Amino acid sequence: MTEEQRSPESGMPPVPPSASGEQQPVQQASQQPAYGQYPNGAYPQQNPAEPMRHKVHHSYIWLGSLQVAGMLIVIAFFSVFSSVIGAIADGESIGRADAPVLLIVGIAVIVGLIVIVGLTALIQTLSYKHLYYELGPDEFNLYSGIFNKKRVHVPYQRIQSVNQKATLVQRLAGVCTVNIDTAGGSANKAITIPYLQNSEAERLRTELFARKQAILSGQAAQAAGRANVVQGQPGAVYPAGHPLAGNVLDMPAEILTDVRGVFGGAAVDTGRVSYEYGMSNKELVLTGLSNNTGFILIVLAALGSVAGLAEQILSTAIGRMLVDNGVNFVMQSFAGNTIWAITGVVVVVFLVVWVLSIIGTCISFGGFKARRRDSRIEVEHGLLQHQFHGVDIDRVQSVIIKQSFIRRLLGYCELSLGKIDAVTEGEEGQQKSLNPQGLVIHPFVKMNRVPEILAGLVPEFADVPTDSRPVAKVALRRAIIRRGILQGNGFWLAVVVVVGQLLANALLPSTEPDAASILFFVNTGAIVLYVLCALLLVLDIIGAVLWYRGSGFSYNRRFMQVSNGGFSRESVSFPRKKIQYGFLKTNPFQRNARVATINARTAAGVGGTTLRLIDVSEQDANTWLDWVKPGGSMVQ
Amino acid sequence: MRDLPKDQLNPKIKNVWRINDAIWLTVAFLCLFIPFLIALIVESAPWIGITLAAIAALYVIGLIVWLVILPPIRFVRWRYELSEDYLDIARGIVWRKRFIIPFIRVQNTDTRQGPILRAFGLSSVTVSTAAGEHEIPGLETHVAEQLRDRAAELARIAQEDV
Repeated sequence: MTEEQRSPESGMPPVPPSASGEQQPVQQASQQPAYGQYPNGAYPQQNPAEPMRHKVHHSYIWLGSLQVAGMLIVIAFFSVFSSVIGAIADGESIGRADAPVLLIVGIAVIVGLIVIVGLTALIQTLSYKHLYYELGPDEFNLYSGIFNKKRVHVPYQRIQSVNQKATLVQRLAGVCTVNIDTAGGSANKAITIPYLQNSEAERLRTELFARKQAILSGQAAQAAGRANVVQGQPGAVYPAGHPLAGNVLDMPAEILTDVRGVFGGAAVDTGRVSYEYGMSNKELVLTGLSNNTGFILIVLAALGSVAGLAEQILSTAIGRMLVDNGVNFVMQSFAGNTIWAITGVVVVVFLVVWVLSIIGTCISFGGFKARRRDSRIEVEHGLLQHQFHGVDIDRVQSVIIKQSFIRRLLGYCELSLGKIDAVTEGEEGQQKSLNPQGLVIHPFVKMNRVPEILAGLVPEFADVPTDSRPVAKVALRRAIIRRGILQGNGFWLAVVVVVGQLLANALLPSTEPDAASILFFVNTGAIVLYVLCALLLVLDIIGAVLWYRGSGFSYNRRFMQVSNGGFSRESVSFPRKKIQYGFLKTNPFQRNARVATINARTAAGVGGTTLRLIDVSEQDANTWLDWVKPGGSMVQ
Repeated sequence: MRDLPKDQLNPKIKNVWRINDAIWLTVAFLCLFIPFLIALIVESAPWIGITLAAIAALYVIGLIVWLVILPPIRFVRWRYELSEDYLDIARGIVWRKRFIIPFIRVQNTDTRQGPILRAFGLSSVTVSTAAGEHEIPGLETHVAEQLRDRAAELARIAQEDV
């Protein structure tokens, strides 16, 4: 670190932020030439021993400060607001006599805010000065920290994907946050470069991928040269006659992209696009509709209204039976109406929430584009908060075709690519909820379009095996027992209800009239629950039969595919060389039935994923295990 | 089932397991036993005595199971084989597992030696891939080092990328 600071290149002081704030966006440090000097958008040839320093955009200072200041103002506003409300609630009135005090308090608050904002700006400025990255001969370095210096090294061949993210404000300014995912064991941490200019980010992405490619193909020495070759190719060329489905949100998204923000800089040619697609209006709306949270809320609301209805019917019927009293009956009907009204309000609230969540999903998928550019797969989406994912084809671990129950009914599916995910510091939970599994390359697509999309986007996965080996015959019986009883919701609910009912009947003395009516309630409720249990049990068994019919696995020389059926279906294809290791697992019952569970472990996700198929016949399982052995694919 | 891998662990591993499990069982036992013992001294009640007796009985049963019954079975079930280009492991008593770990996927291997293993002159070898690691416990130190070197050598031809 200190050695670097003494180097002549960085000896000059960085441009003060106040000066650079009014300059053209492209200037970062005075000793660097303007971008216009490299028409290809490539980095200039440089001495590998002395890598060039790259700084992030100066909006790091003012946008970062603005963000903190905004947060502080909101906090201050709420605290002041609540104390004023509290004072009013206590019966204090604000009179003329209080004016000096209020004035002093007001001034103090404003001065305090200014001091805090100033301090934040100072800290941001200082950390901006010490935040830069270098593209070394075989690793990427990110330096940061004012007092505690931090230097992160990423060897190029460890890079999994390069992602970009921008909030609306960042988009308007033309900057973005770049995340570099690496494969670094189970505790993967992503490297975050904040506030990078759009053109700079594009250039960095191209460069990182080019260098990685070069190192992997054993040409480390020519890394920089190769990057130029890649970038020298002509820009976007679409295959003729390719249908580009679009939707209503594409236009605003394109405008936002084309404007590139105030400091965006010129677009950088990052390679040739060989395939691209978007989402049609219908697909977009269906994606929004199938948003699970919204759907669950609706179901809950429906259940609530049904419960209200049941309660009303039950209470009126029992009211009639127990006490044949007119007044009581009217009272109960009235109570029922209240229930209806409340249910109605709840349903309306849920409907509004649902519609909002649909709109939210639509906006977040607005401007969705997936494309193949050279050896990379790029996916971008988001109208307000823009997300961009770039992953190299040889980092794709698997292709996942997932059909939830609703999608299956409609004949649609969700397509995603499995890749090694990294955890971004500070937003572990958020990241997981946004990206549950891999990189979604289409959230809602008709099944018959899948082959076309896969052929265009990932032609490497073309010869995925199709002849599926079913699970063993005995698996049906075992699946019914497993899903119907051991993991069966209906069965266990029934057990709970039986125990509850027996306990209630045993503990309550049936001689007392009060206890008798409670027992009546309990027993009637239990019967309703038994019906529900039977229904669940039937559903579980149907699910087991569907699983048996729809599950299987297959493999050929280069690929393996595992399908697990049921009400929803998931089919995962992955190359043989991405299998880290395979194992068979058997329990005594399985050994008795001569079946085994096959497990293939890949590095996808955070810390790896196991692809599992239960109850494959022993012979198939052993043959498969032989296939997993090195050279095993040649034997057959 | 297919033929099991041919190599077995060093028989001394049974004693390592025994000592290890005895330590854990004793710690757990003391954590449960001492509070009740103090309670009994402070205020003697019959139910506390019964609880103490039950805990002691559980401890004895645990000792018998983990020290007498399990180690030989575990030893018989634990097999491995280092073939030309993959590692084959079979283990598990109730849930039997059979692993095939190709060396070209192995990212690093290392040997570990805790105080108990050291006392018996044993080492354990850990083989890690990009999606999890496998440990072969209890090999004679020179065998373990041989295995580690062999695995490392074979792993060197592995592709760096995942």
